[in-house]
This record gives sequence, structure tokens and C-alpha cells, in this order.
Amino acid sequence: MKLTPEKVGTWLSSSGPDSDVVISTRVRFARNLIDVPFVVRMKQFEQELVLETVRWALADIGFLKQGRFFEEEMLAEPDGLYFVERHLASLDLITSKTRKGLFVSEDETVSLMVNEEDHIRFQVLASGFDFVTAFGKAAELDEKLEGQLAYAFSPEFGFLTSCPTNVGTALRVSVFLHLPGLVLTKEIERVLRGAYALGLLVRGVFGEGTESRANLFQISNRRTLGQSEAEIVEVVSSVCRQIVDYEHKARQFLMHNLRVEVEDKVFRSLGLLRGARIISTEEATDLLAMVRFGVALGIINELRLAEVTQLLILVRPANLQAVLGEKLRGDEQDERRATFIREKLVR
Amino acid sequence: MKLCDICGKKEATLVVRQLDKEGKATDLNVCAECAKKRGLTGVEECEPDSGAVIAELKSRMEESDSKVICPRCGMSFAEFKRAGRLGCADCYQAFTEKLKPIIRRLHGAVQHIGKTANQGRKRAQERLEIQRLRAELEKAIKQEDYEKAAALRDRLKRRGDETDS
Repeated sequence: MKLTPEKVGTWLSSSGPDSDVVISTRVRFARNLIDVPFVVRMKQFEQELVLETVRWALADIGFLKQGRFFEEEMLAEPDGLYFVERHLASLDLITSKTRKGLFVSEDETVSLMVNEEDHIRFQVLASGFDFVTAFGKAAELDEKLEGQLAYAFSPEFGFLTSCPTNVGTALRVSVFLHLPGLVLTKEIERVLRGAYALGLLVRGVFGEGTESRANLFQISNRRTLGQSEAEIVEVVSSVCRQIVDYEHKARQFLMHNLRVEVEDKVFRSLGLLRGARIISTEEATDLLAMVRFGVALGIINELRLAEVTQLLILVRPANLQAVLGEKLRGDEQDERRATFIREKLVR
Repeated sequence: MKLCDICGKKEATLVVRQLDKEGKATDLNVCAECAKKRGLTGVEECEPDSGAVIAELKSRMEESDSKVICPRCGMSFAEFKRAGRLGCADCYQAFTEKLKPIIRRLHGAVQHIGKTANQGRKRAQERLEIQRLRAELEKAIKQEDYEKAAALRDRLKRRGDETDS
């Protein structure tokens, strides 16, 4: 099975609503099959059984034709990291020893993991702030799969999941936000604390825990039980709406009052990216995010939002190697990354 | 600062409550030295060692957690607490009393609201099954196999089929 690493998912196209602030919207459902133990208690034949059952179900609903199904050899480390970097699989799936599978749709907006923490976890990604598309597609896939598979469900606890943090709707919705305005105006702490107080989970997209790199954040629902699917979407959506508006205001403030300082940061970042001969993933991420900010503000006109956003993924180690079609050592990687970015940003 | 009621010189560090025959209490302020002389020590020894008590309670709880076992997959509640993952769908039933407080803490609720699974499909299956039984019943009547027809009619009745044909 061949990958097309130079073609990134359409959810990174920055074409959706509020793409200047919201990179993407994600909707994820967790499901387990009735009559098979959860992943921690599965025997090998049961792992294979689930893998086959899900693959048949995907074939029956015509989904397999719309994408590819990857198994063991493609998902093992280090190659499997390619999917993690593209937000199509979790690190847990790649590092686990169970028999596993990953379905990825052609446009990389739909992915489905088999035998990760739950038997089935599928997600739909949409560009920008777009729950209508993301939730609509995810709910449709859920309906279709349910016509083929019997899920573990109880009227009291809802969809039963391996971890009680996901039980109930087993729905996690999240928004991937780029908030440099709030970071530069030092409003970010307050905003993120507010989101947490409203029952949402906030974390950095790159890096551990809540520590964020490059002013990129992910906000999602904490609760999955006791609220309907629609309510969960509504809560996350309305809080994010406010954050987006707040970020827009912060950007306006910066452009009015600190324009030169912002321009300085943006053009220095672009200068470094265009001049560097050796660059780490972390540094590239920080600088690219600042350049993205400059493009969104109209400070930089010669680049498109989509190409800078996509570079955030393509410069990551596994993707860089996949795009270049070579296995590289760490130091070689940093050098080749610098060259790759220079070529992409040349105008 | 209160002085010792016995020696009247040193600072009192203990209050000793004495009860007379009628149960009337008299409090006596005593310094450390006089307390020792009169054999009123042992206060420190009486104070519970909170660490040991907690450890004891914990081990008893763990013991009880390891006795709560899911009959289907064999996972104990203690194992779940260690790994944070349940073994199968039946664990929710087996651990329900112990899980509910955890679920309430996580979600602020213990009752699912929202989409229900398979309801549509179950109903569809049920309808199909009734249709199949009705067809068989008709066939049995045609073939004058009344014994089979009666059995089928009973099965249909149990499935809540009111149109006794």
C-alpha cells in the first residue's frame, strides 16, 4: 500500500469557517462490540476477530473503497508515527502490541482505529470551525456501522467504553485553535481557565500536558455522560465561538497598538525559516506558527494560509522522511528539514 | 498560661478530666512532670497513628476491591483501579456500585442521555422474526399440522403479536 505524503488531508486546507484562528474541528466516537472483551482482556483470536469484523463492516457499507485499510506492518514504529503526526492515529495505537488496524479515507478527513483503547474509534476532521460537517459525517458513519455491528450499550451508562472517562455518548469533540493574539496580549491564561471552568478540557497540541508550543491549543469536552450528543457539540461550539471572537479582538488590538512589534516577530520568523541551514522540529513549528499568524493578519501576502498550515505537519520527522522518501538520522533530518522549508517558502 | 494544679509552679500541658461517682466532671490542669509522677502519662501512646490507620483501611479496601470480580472476564475492581481500563462490557454491571461514584465525579451524572444503540435495528429484527413466525404458522395451518400451529401461535403471543391469525 502506497502513501501519498505530499498530499495532506483536506482538513488542513484552511478553507473552512474562521480558518485564520481555527485550524480544524474534530469529532470522535468510541465504540465496542458486544460479546467481545475490551482490548485489555482480549485474546489474540479475539483481536483478529474484531479486526476482520470491522473490516467487513467497512466493506459492506462501501467505505473501504473510499480509503485504505492499514495493518501491522504499516502501523509499527517508526513508520506508524507518520499517521500520528497527521492526526489520523494515536501514539497508543502505534506502540501497542495488539493486532490492530487503521482505516484512512482518501481525503484523510475520516479515520478509524481498530483495537486501540476501544475496539473502534473513529474520527472526522473538518477544516476550520465546522461542526456541521464534522458531526454530520461522523453521525452518518456511526449509523451505517451500527447497521452492521452490535455495540456494547447499557440504558444506564450508554455506550460502554474501556475507560469510564469516555462512557455515555463516547463522543469527544474538539477544536484545534491557533491563538497567538491571546498569547501576545497575555489574555490566554484567563481564557483557558474560563474554558476549563465551563467544563472543557484544554491542552497544547504539540508537547506534553497543557504546555503548548507555537500557540496551538486543543479544546474539547470533558464530560461524555449526562449530556446528549447535541448538547456536547453545543457547549464546545459556543465556548469556542467566544474564544474565536476574543482572539479576533486581540488581533485587532495588536494591529492597532503594536503593529511594528508584531511585524517584527513575524518577519524575523520568516527570515529565520528562509535562512536556516539546520532546524529542529520544535523550532520550525514555533516559527511556522508565527508566519501563519502573519499570513492570517495580511502582514505576509506572498504565502497562503494553507501551505503554511500544511508545513506544520510536513516538517515533523516521520512526514519529512516520507515526503523526501528517505530514512534520515537525527542530524541529517534537521539539515534536510531546513532545506525543505527554504524551498517551500521561496518566492 | 495556666499553672499546674498539682505543683502550682510549672506550666500545665495536660487537662485531666476526673469523673466522680455521680458522673460529675472535674478538670485538672497538670504539668508534664507532675503527670509523670502521678502516672498520668500514656497520652501520646493513646493518640492514633494516623499513617497506620490509613494504611490499614487502604489494605482492607484493596482486599474488598480484589473480591469484587466481573463474572464474565474475571477482572477484579482492584485490577481496574490499577490499570484504569475495564475488562469487558459486563464490568459495568459487576462494579456498578463502586463505579458510580467515579462516573459521577468524572461526568457529574450517572445516567446516559443521548443516542441509544441498536434500538432501531432490534425493532427491525423483531418485526422480521414475527413475520417469519406468521408465515410458518400459515404454512402449518395449510398443512393441517395443528400441533405445530399451536406452538407457533404461542411463540407469537409471547412476542407480543396481538393479531392472532
